[in-house]
Amino acid sequence: MDIFSFVNFFLLPGVVQGSIYALGAIGITLIYAIMRYGHFAHGDLATFGAFTALFVAGLLGLSPYAALPVAVVVAALLAIAIDWLFYAHLRRMPKIITTIASFGVALMLRSVVQIIWGVDTTSYTRGISRPENWFGIRVKPHELVTLLVVIGLVIALHLFLTRNKWGKAMRAMSDNPDLALLSGIDNNKVIAMTWVIAGGLCAASGFFLGLNTELRSLMGWNILLPTFAAAILGGVGRIEGAIVGGLVVGVTEELSVLVIPSEYKMLSSFAILLVVLLLRPTGLFRGKIL
Amino acid sequence: MDWLSFTIYPVYLMIFMCIYGCLAIGLNIQWGYAGLFNAGLAGFFAVGAYTSAILTTSEAAGRLGGFDLPFPFGLAGAMIVSGLIAWPVGKICLRFRSDYLAIVTIGVAEAIRLVAKTEDWLTNSARGITGVPRPLGDLPYAQAQLAYLAIVGLILIVVYLLIERQAHAPWGRMMRAIRDNERAAVAMGKNVPVRRLEAFMLGSALMGLAGGLYVHLARTITPDAIDPMLVTFLVWIMVILGGSGNNRGVLLGAVIVWIIWSASEIVTDQLPAEFALKAKYGRMFLIGLLLQIVLRFRPEGLLPEKLRRAPLSEGALSPTGHGARIQAPHKEI
Amino acid sequence: MKLKSLGLAAWLLGTCALATPALAQVNIGLLAGITGGAAAMAPEIIKSYEFAVKQVNDQGGILNGQKLVGNVADSGCKPQVAADAATKLVNVSRVIGIAGPMCSGALLAAANSATIPAGVLLISPAATSPEITTLKDNDLVFRTVPSDEYQGQALARTLLSRGTQTVAVSFINNDYGKGIAAAFKKEFEAKGGKITAFAGHEESKSSYRSDLAELAKGGADTLVLLDYGDTSGLTILREAIENGFFKNFVGAEGMKTSAPIKAFGAENLSTFIASAPIPAKSQALDIFNAAFSKAGGDVNGSYVAPSFDAVFLLALAIEKAGGDKTKLPQSLRAVTSGKGEPIMPGEWKKAKELIAAGKEIDYKGASGSVNFDERGDVPGSYGLFKVSGSDYEVITEMK
Repeated sequence: MDIFSFVNFFLLPGVVQGSIYALGAIGITLIYAIMRYGHFAHGDLATFGAFTALFVAGLLGLSPYAALPVAVVVAALLAIAIDWLFYAHLRRMPKIITTIASFGVALMLRSVVQIIWGVDTTSYTRGISRPENWFGIRVKPHELVTLLVVIGLVIALHLFLTRNKWGKAMRAMSDNPDLALLSGIDNNKVIAMTWVIAGGLCAASGFFLGLNTELRSLMGWNILLPTFAAAILGGVGRIEGAIVGGLVVGVTEELSVLVIPSEYKMLSSFAILLVVLLLRPTGLFRGKIL
Repeated sequence: MDWLSFTIYPVYLMIFMCIYGCLAIGLNIQWGYAGLFNAGLAGFFAVGAYTSAILTTSEAAGRLGGFDLPFPFGLAGAMIVSGLIAWPVGKICLRFRSDYLAIVTIGVAEAIRLVAKTEDWLTNSARGITGVPRPLGDLPYAQAQLAYLAIVGLILIVVYLLIERQAHAPWGRMMRAIRDNERAAVAMGKNVPVRRLEAFMLGSALMGLAGGLYVHLARTITPDAIDPMLVTFLVWIMVILGGSGNNRGVLLGAVIVWIIWSASEIVTDQLPAEFALKAKYGRMFLIGLLLQIVLRFRPEGLLPEKLRRAPLSEGALSPTGHGARIQAPHKEI
Repeated sequence: MKLKSLGLAAWLLGTCALATPALAQVNIGLLAGITGGAAAMAPEIIKSYEFAVKQVNDQGGILNGQKLVGNVADSGCKPQVAADAATKLVNVSRVIGIAGPMCSGALLAAANSATIPAGVLLISPAATSPEITTLKDNDLVFRTVPSDEYQGQALARTLLSRGTQTVAVSFINNDYGKGIAAAFKKEFEAKGGKITAFAGHEESKSSYRSDLAELAKGGADTLVLLDYGDTSGLTILREAIENGFFKNFVGAEGMKTSAPIKAFGAENLSTFIASAPIPAKSQALDIFNAAFSKAGGDVNGSYVAPSFDAVFLLALAIEKAGGDKTKLPQSLRAVTSGKGEPIMPGEWKKAKELIAAGKEIDYKGASGSVNFDERGDVPGSYGLFKVSGSDYEVITEMK
């Protein structure tokens, strides 16, 4: 196999897929860090975001890219609403109860998508977009956009967490909740902020997943396992870890067909998860162990 | 039309309630007694179903089998193999907090489904196994259903009595002690990891038993029966609705949820066709909502666990994912 | 607890008794995987089922002017759901025959646990697994779609006769994909063709480029893609065309849906051909297509023709048997024996009159010959199709 086909058919799809996982994994890792439970409705929230973008684009006749910000806002608001309706009153209970509640929310979101948009496979754009050839490297325009937007979002998030007052409050909350509370940080606002970020990124991940392939009602549930694997591989609570974790999981999945039968391709993220839990439960970036 | 035929659907409902009852008791041991979050019930169910199918069917070309063992051996095999599969899973995951166990068990169920779907020599891959015998299955329809209900019901009663006895024995008290206050249990000299693994394996074995009971009812098993929605999620709702920690409660949960699930379709099918189709998705929504309502208003379930003394500060819901107490400072967030 | 369940049983018994239908109608079940893995195909299949029911009712109804009522139920493409739905249809809705379900696993469970013990006739329009052929069914399970075994072989022979000697095969890892791929491989290699790569894939992954790169390594320029055109098959086809892994694409009936045309446009599908268990040319199919598209149906929906046939045959068998459940299988064989006055799809009135007059009839299915063999399978006649405009067009007949 020459270097170009390796890059074109294994590395590049892996990186695109990985950055989609990374967007989801950032949300999961933030929720873990600040609220300390695994959020299993994340995949289905991504599905909802993707379909919202489809709906908005169709309604206003916009290009799907223009619909993305709307979908991000809608999903962010929805995430706050879900927290307020279903999770807020469970905060004093053991965290695992909220995890169970999030399974129920996943189910509800999925059936809402299926009731409103049905179960047919759809896509944002009609037609075929042939990749452009850059000195032998073949990139499709929407792949390039995916990578650029993901990089942009990550930089924005990083600036927010390091420069903004609320971003700093979130980090404080993640590092030491008691100290954060004592120093007067408003718990509820930080939680709302976390949901806005997690929900928005989640919608973006669903959108890009739909943009690079098709939209299906189960698309989000199917990326839940790799997304969690990415978050745990990176180290729970570590944003940079979630990004690296996402990329590693994405590329590994694509490379796995070289060594294992492709029927078992889906299991490569699971294998990564097991190896991390066995050998280095703190993840690559020394995250928390919950 | 003879009157016996009218009993078939209710009897069928009750057979499924018993199978789900078995799953619910298995999950209750893991979650209610030991605080372990298993989100891969479907995997252990499938292992049981396939094991019993392979052990009791006659020779078939291309796949493992031809043992032709009687029904009880199939069920015993189902329990043993499911319990054994649970061992490495528990070994790896029980060290961590329970949501890690949840994501890993989701992965385990997925792995089991893929193996069942791909390996020709073991499970005849995607085509599945047919011709699984059912005890007394040659009787006429209604009688055969009644006979199978009697068998399944009897097995469930035996399981229930044995588990209840175990729960009230020192073993059960010890499990609850570990669940509610792990550090105290360690201080008392209890071997916590081993006990947890025991509970995990025992619960998984019961899930395997349920799989075995299912496969002899359906007489066939294909990989698409391994469904997280139908097997894993419904059982969770049953346990939480009924009352985790209380075997009678989870059985009640199994009865209620299965009736809502199966019989609600009779009602929605009366709607105009377009709505009837949408309603099929709607009932998943309702099941999800039911879970939220229970967690909101009656988190201890319909029949709460009976404790000799008032529960501690955690409130009435006693299973505390393990490690929660160690993390006491974080609890307030 | 015991009292409770007794009360419950009594309540259920009551509901069931109440739900017993009035005698002025004849109930049949229409099972389809409305939820679950094959849900995308279900709407058109149900439309086709109900179209057949409507034709019967519009032309004088069944038996003595009674109404034929189709009870739609969800088989979920899952054994448990299908068995539950079939039990309800048989014992609560009290149907005397069922069309469906779509998925083979669902069919096996529904047949074993409900319809065979209850003696209810079941005709599936879409379950293609060879396992169904060998089911011990007391002559109660039929299907209007041929087993995958035949189609895989026919596809192999047709490709070789068209001069395609070297192919790579990619199939969806389920009963459908695996069955048809195995049959194709056996026949293709036995007749001298060369398969450079043969791999299954899971559905619902978002990228298959690495799979495709592996498949393309052997140097074949034709990809045989045995998958569904509205799930992973669509993704693979898209990625294969976009990246130029292969030049020619061959699918089976799962791929022959409107989805690829809608998603890519016909201009990108000039090298895509697909086989389907639909006769290349038949008067029956033309009649059905015209009527079904007039009624708002999509004639390229997967399995719509066999679905129509399943319900129409069920109705004919009920008419012939005079509504007697126990005589349904033999009546079904009687109306498809190949002897007697030919009946085209939708010719209910004519069929009814002939049956009343005691004459032999032979139904000509929209999906081809429906002369069942002793195991309830149909021999299958196939056509090879290419994309033309927004539709599929026959290239040749397959043997």
